[in-house]
Amino acid sequence: MPETKIQLGSASGKAIVAEHLGKVFNVAKGMLRRTKTQIMAVKDVSFEVGYGELFGLVGPNGAGKTTTIKMLTTMLIPTSGRATVLGYDVQKQVTQVRERIGIVLGGERGLYTRVNAVDNLRYFADLYGVPVNVRDKRIKELLTFMGLWDRARDRVETYSKGMKQRLHLARGLINDPELIFMDEPTIGLDPEIARDTRELIQQLVNKGKTVLLTTHYMFEADELCKRVAIIRNGEIVALDTPSGLKKYVRDASVVEVEGFGITDKEVAKFKETRDVLSVSADLGESKQVLRIQTPKGSEIISEVQEILKNSRIYDIKIKEPTLEDAYLRLVTT
Amino acid sequence: MPQVLRVIYSAFRMAMLHWIADPQWVIPNIIAPFIFTAVALTLFQGSTGPFGLYAVLGGGMMGMWGNTLYSSGYAIEFEKWQGTLEEVIAAPSKLMHVIAGRSVSNALFGLVNMFAVLAIAALGFKIQLGIANPLLFTVSLVLTLLSVSALGLIFASAFVLSRSALTLTNGLEIPLYIISGSMFPVALLPFWIHPAAYILGPTWGIDAIRLATSQEYASQSFWNGMNWNTAILLDLTIMSLITLGYAALATVLFKMVETRARTQGTLVEA
Repeated sequence: MPETKIQLGSASGKAIVAEHLGKVFNVAKGMLRRTKTQIMAVKDVSFEVGYGELFGLVGPNGAGKTTTIKMLTTMLIPTSGRATVLGYDVQKQVTQVRERIGIVLGGERGLYTRVNAVDNLRYFADLYGVPVNVRDKRIKELLTFMGLWDRARDRVETYSKGMKQRLHLARGLINDPELIFMDEPTIGLDPEIARDTRELIQQLVNKGKTVLLTTHYMFEADELCKRVAIIRNGEIVALDTPSGLKKYVRDASVVEVEGFGITDKEVAKFKETRDVLSVSADLGESKQVLRIQTPKGSEIISEVQEILKNSRIYDIKIKEPTLEDAYLRLVTT
Repeated sequence: MPQVLRVIYSAFRMAMLHWIADPQWVIPNIIAPFIFTAVALTLFQGSTGPFGLYAVLGGGMMGMWGNTLYSSGYAIEFEKWQGTLEEVIAAPSKLMHVIAGRSVSNALFGLVNMFAVLAIAALGFKIQLGIANPLLFTVSLVLTLLSVSALGLIFASAFVLSRSALTLTNGLEIPLYIISGSMFPVALLPFWIHPAAYILGPTWGIDAIRLATSQEYASQSFWNGMNWNTAILLDLTIMSLITLGYAALATVLFKMVETRARTQGTLVEA
């Protein structure tokens, strides 16, 4: 097939163009009487990503982030809509798309753990058709870049989580892709390793790579991404720069309460309070933190103290809203 | 090296690395054929005719079959268990070429059986197994290995397309040993089974291997009465054509597997 790039209307010059992408899964249930139900994983997703941009796709579990990435990387066929990646149609020019992109999926799976890092990378280099005279040099460069060269000949099953994640990154870069899709690359990592991973991602963008990143961590999106799309129930509910998204909560300030003994019932009470826009609770065992968005700011403190009269309050602070607050507002209202 | 061969070789190499890393292969590849051969040789000790030949080659062929049925059948499932199927499918190479490399390695590893059985027969039971035509024996062995590998591709895709394929495979294991002539010549089987035997490529391969090993077998071959070399060449030609048919069928099945996986999102289900 001739390598003709398909241009989508206004989309010329964009690394990714998604137009009204949708994905419905058919699920069969029952043993004797099999009934088929449909699950709409992605309803209608449209966005564009420019070359050299680090674009974030954030949303709660089941919102459609991974399904969207899988459609863009040709791992899933969209039910509706269309998309181009680096100018190639993801349904009609599958091989051209696959040759030019890298994929980094989070978690510990996705590597051949019984063999060493070099053999893992060599295998994928062969699958991507990396020229043999380039392959071995690139493997060494990537493993050195990821700080894994000293352990390159050890079986991957002996690696820590962080090392496996760095090997995932190296694997995603083995074909020197122009565009890299990263699905929650820091999930489950220690803070220090997650920070190193974020630094690596930033270095890739500095080298001119385009990155589409999904993450659960808003501070990560805030720190790394030029623009962020928030996806909820298979639809994009907001798309802007991190500072632009924060404007969604410009009308509110955040009352952050640190305490102990706070119950779910009390959190529910806050949600019913008239001047509370949203509440997030991190009810850990040793320390609990409530973040209450309200247009009233400090005026609400007496009400907070009343609701939490049976709990211990260590500290109450009034803060400027963060990207996480904007996200919470957008996905919960 | 053409990209297709490079992918097949790389998948073959990766499979071999896994075999080496996992010592469990000793059970199906050394211990099981050892027991089979020991029992068969003990039963036929003192008998006249090429019984040693059947026991030794049959044990080896069983290994090749067994590896193909299970290892190749599970080749795609293996990738799912590892969590690597998504990464492999997302690469520009065809999944079928990757699984082909695995399938060849499985069949080749099955040959370890044959050599183990040969060693057991020669050292433990003092069986003389001279090979009448080493060149045709080697060619027959290699082509049979490729035919078994091509069948492995069909099993691999069938496993993904139908969950009942596992049950079917378990049920087919022994009948396939019998039908393909691994245990004894097809000529000894009831006539109505012959069509099922002759659509299996390895049936012709086993016939060729036995003919290349011993002229004593000629009377039990499908080509009884024909010139010895011609018979072997006919066996190999028919097997090659059937193998090409398997490869064509596997190409269609793999396309179905990939389309289904990409439509239903079943790449990560273990």
